[in-house]
Amino acid sequence: MSNIAGKAYAMNVITPIRWYMAWINRLIFLIAYRTPSTLRGLITLSLIHYARWVIIDRWKFPHLDPSQPKEDLHYSYMLFFSNFNGSWDQYVDSFTFAIPAGLDLFWKKNVRYPKSVPLTPFHDYIRHNQIDTDHYYNAYPLASSNDVKSAKHLKKKLIAFERAVRDAGPEEFLTKYHALLVEVQYDLGDMQPAPIVSLAAQAVDARRLLDAQRLLDAQGRR
Amino acid sequence: MTQQLDLPDIQGNIIRAYGRFGFPKARFFFLKINDGDSGRDFVGTITKRVTTSVSWGPPPKGVIPKPKAPINIAFTYNGLKALGLPRASLAGFPEEFAMGMKARKEILGDDGPSAPERWDKVWQKHEDVHVALAINGQTPEEKEQPPLKYVEEAYQWVMSQIDASGGGVVLLTGHRGDEGQDDLPFQDASLLYDKSGNIMAKEHFGYTDGIGDPVFEGQITEEYRVVGRGKLTREGGWARLETGEFLLGHPDEAHEYPPAPPPTLLSRNGTFMVYRKLHQNVASFERLLDAHAESFSGDRELLAAKLSGRWRDNGAPIAHTPDAASKAEWDKLFYAAIAAKDERTVDKMLADFRFDLMGYKCPIGAHIRRINPRGSLEFGQDGAYNTPGALDDRRRILRRGLPYGVVRDPVSDDGNHGVIFMALNTSIERQFEFVQQQWINYANDSKEGSDKDVLLGNHSDPNGACPSKMVTHADPKSGRPPYFVNKIPRLVETRGGDYFFIPSMTALRMIAGGKVDPT
Amino acid sequence: MANISGNAYALTVLSPIKNGCIGDSSYQISYADEVQSRLHGLGVCEDSPLAKVPQTYLARFFILDDVFLESTPGCDSFCNLWDILSIFKERFRLLALPREDHLKSRYLVFSSNFHGDLESYLRGMWSAVSADIKHIWEHCVAFDRVQDVEGFIAYIKRCQLTANLFFNGSTDDPLEEQLKALYLKQQFVKFAVSHQGLGAAELQDAFRAFIGRVQPNQLATPTWRPGQSIP
Repeated sequence: MSNIAGKAYAMNVITPIRWYMAWINRLIFLIAYRTPSTLRGLITLSLIHYARWVIIDRWKFPHLDPSQPKEDLHYSYMLFFSNFNGSWDQYVDSFTFAIPAGLDLFWKKNVRYPKSVPLTPFHDYIRHNQIDTDHYYNAYPLASSNDVKSAKHLKKKLIAFERAVRDAGPEEFLTKYHALLVEVQYDLGDMQPAPIVSLAAQAVDARRLLDAQRLLDAQGRR
Repeated sequence: MTQQLDLPDIQGNIIRAYGRFGFPKARFFFLKINDGDSGRDFVGTITKRVTTSVSWGPPPKGVIPKPKAPINIAFTYNGLKALGLPRASLAGFPEEFAMGMKARKEILGDDGPSAPERWDKVWQKHEDVHVALAINGQTPEEKEQPPLKYVEEAYQWVMSQIDASGGGVVLLTGHRGDEGQDDLPFQDASLLYDKSGNIMAKEHFGYTDGIGDPVFEGQITEEYRVVGRGKLTREGGWARLETGEFLLGHPDEAHEYPPAPPPTLLSRNGTFMVYRKLHQNVASFERLLDAHAESFSGDRELLAAKLSGRWRDNGAPIAHTPDAASKAEWDKLFYAAIAAKDERTVDKMLADFRFDLMGYKCPIGAHIRRINPRGSLEFGQDGAYNTPGALDDRRRILRRGLPYGVVRDPVSDDGNHGVIFMALNTSIERQFEFVQQQWINYANDSKEGSDKDVLLGNHSDPNGACPSKMVTHADPKSGRPPYFVNKIPRLVETRGGDYFFIPSMTALRMIAGGKVDPT
Repeated sequence: MANISGNAYALTVLSPIKNGCIGDSSYQISYADEVQSRLHGLGVCEDSPLAKVPQTYLARFFILDDVFLESTPGCDSFCNLWDILSIFKERFRLLALPREDHLKSRYLVFSSNFHGDLESYLRGMWSAVSADIKHIWEHCVAFDRVQDVEGFIAYIKRCQLTANLFFNGSTDDPLEEQLKALYLKQQFVKFAVSHQGLGAAELQDAFRAFIGRVQPNQLATPTWRPGQSIP
């Protein structure tokens, strides 16, 4: 079980909202959905692949069969899922330092939400309400969100360039190649395995690799 | 300034970088405590001579005359344990401090040539390193006197206290020396001197060091020094950083007291220190410049400036001086200000700048831009964050070290020379370790993937499978493509170090008296 | 609709797990713990069953055991009604404390971010890993009625929740595009750095060879495999 897959961290947070207040959050999310500029801080942080907020009304938990007892809850609940780069601390910290007002907006009216500043109570609130991921899959563990975005830009430019120089002579080629490099000069970061975000996670991973190797060796010997 | 600090309670090396205040020499040595009682007695005696942060000079402004050789003391987690600190206090220290720097090698990137197995012998038995003593020294006015006279006097005094403990406190040996010895009793450090014997504020790669040291609330320093060193405000000005980023027991940038071990009197006015001995491969660095200078289509010194963010000769920020022509102009004004003893202008020229978003002037991966982005992580999206420097403000560290050794053979990387890197902060993990791991050995935050800092990064074999590179960005108008500085060899190797706690004077007296009690 | 951002889709599924346990006299385990154990046993990265599910960007499973009691500090509230009334009657102070909620079932939560529309995704998922789907969802309420892809789609839709806000901080391209782009980025960086300073003709030849090798317009190959964890 791990919250980490390569460079991405899977955070799951569930928090109660008084059911008669949930409309406030729905309204805030609707406004944010319609006005992307409200998310400018999040976009600039650039740490997130994909994230979502889901409000579940207290009577709307999926009920599939009479044999399943119906939920009887006092509160409605808000689920937050994020796929982000960096460590848990860095992520939560950067939210608090950079976009505290935005966070307060999204978690408004959640029961006992302590506001995003000061830091430690906010840390504690997220930790308290966080559920660990049992299986996490990332299609590109070696790539951060920045890498995916810059790769898209580079691919587009590279293909256009290749088309443009198919029939060019060497001198024209060189000039256009230099122009290409200038255009993609911000897309050229290397993609090596992620920095260790947690010695604990690293130890678990090392044991997993060792076990996998032992299994392979055993199979090889048979 | 909203804060008045209790200067007599704070150890002097926190408030002042002694090297800037006329103390070109330093000696660092480390002790093991074998017996708690002797250890506490020893601490009590030393504490009487520990230098605090009070002002120096004649009254009314000064409290004491300027000391010849300030002494300061710090402890590792194991050292505090040996001194008998109660478990409840020990448990309140952060995890990384308790583990010590050696155990954090994967986080810090201390692999290959920097791996702990290659560190100086004194660091090999990590559990034995308990106490760090630092003596900084003026050099005598009279040229005939040995330069280390005052350092030696203070050192002999401390040694006599160690001897008096009858084995209760012992000096650890095992520092590497100039002649290949590996068993020296201390680590000396010193500012570098130029050929005429004048002091230079440089390190061995030739760069002027320590210009950007942070300024915080309550620190006694000229107001103009806040520019470029504090934190950015929304309006584009500079303000002092909160004290709690550097001193425990005071509010920090997150509007709270930094987590600290109980009781309050143990931690207040103290801080954590990262001590790292960094060997510099000067020959490799010069060869790197040689290899690239030609094709960089700039001059060698311009290339060196691009890697660091400042020109080697006088620290001119490349953000203002991106080419030889602008540098020449800058130099004229700079030296004129020096000649006129106009400190404000000199300082402003060195410290007052922001980085250009596109990196044409100062590359995005340049050293000083990595360690203090000065608001460039807002990527020009004015107003996206609380303040432009919101992501920088809690990642600053106070620099208190000095270079050590002298380059004897410029053609070989071997030798005994480098920097004693000392970083002071209230959270080793959030400040020093974060910068080291996320901004020096990685660059996702500045959108440069896994690219590492040229000077400090833990580069892998340049002829191996994944050599390091740095992109120096090109202005489209220049007609030139971006230049890649590739096959970067490892230029800095860790030779040892650990994490220490620098207590306040109150805490020292309590530790010495065995009176620490968090009940 | 809020599950969608361009061509990217946010699927949130809460599947109730049967109450009760399985096992015999020597070993018992609750259904939910068994599901969790199966999740922990899945391969990771390129070995994850989700690596075989087309168009999956990032996805996760976890077991929602119960909701949390908010035993965390209260905060200052200007003119909170209970705060004022509680001066007069203890009952109001108690009413202001967070309530203890409990779920009556445990839920298997599946959250996936993928490219395209929901039905195509679920069809692709069933087609690629129906055995793994049954292995994971076996002990969920009413899943025994799922016999085929239509049943699976209907089942998922019954368990689906709508996102109120889906934040896309990345792209909404087909997965093959993303992976090919990452592959090209990795290869081109190596090329550009190692061929720096070459003469025009030599560089052009090298570039042509490079294009021939990396095939930028061929999405299928060469490229990064989904979940590839080794550079």
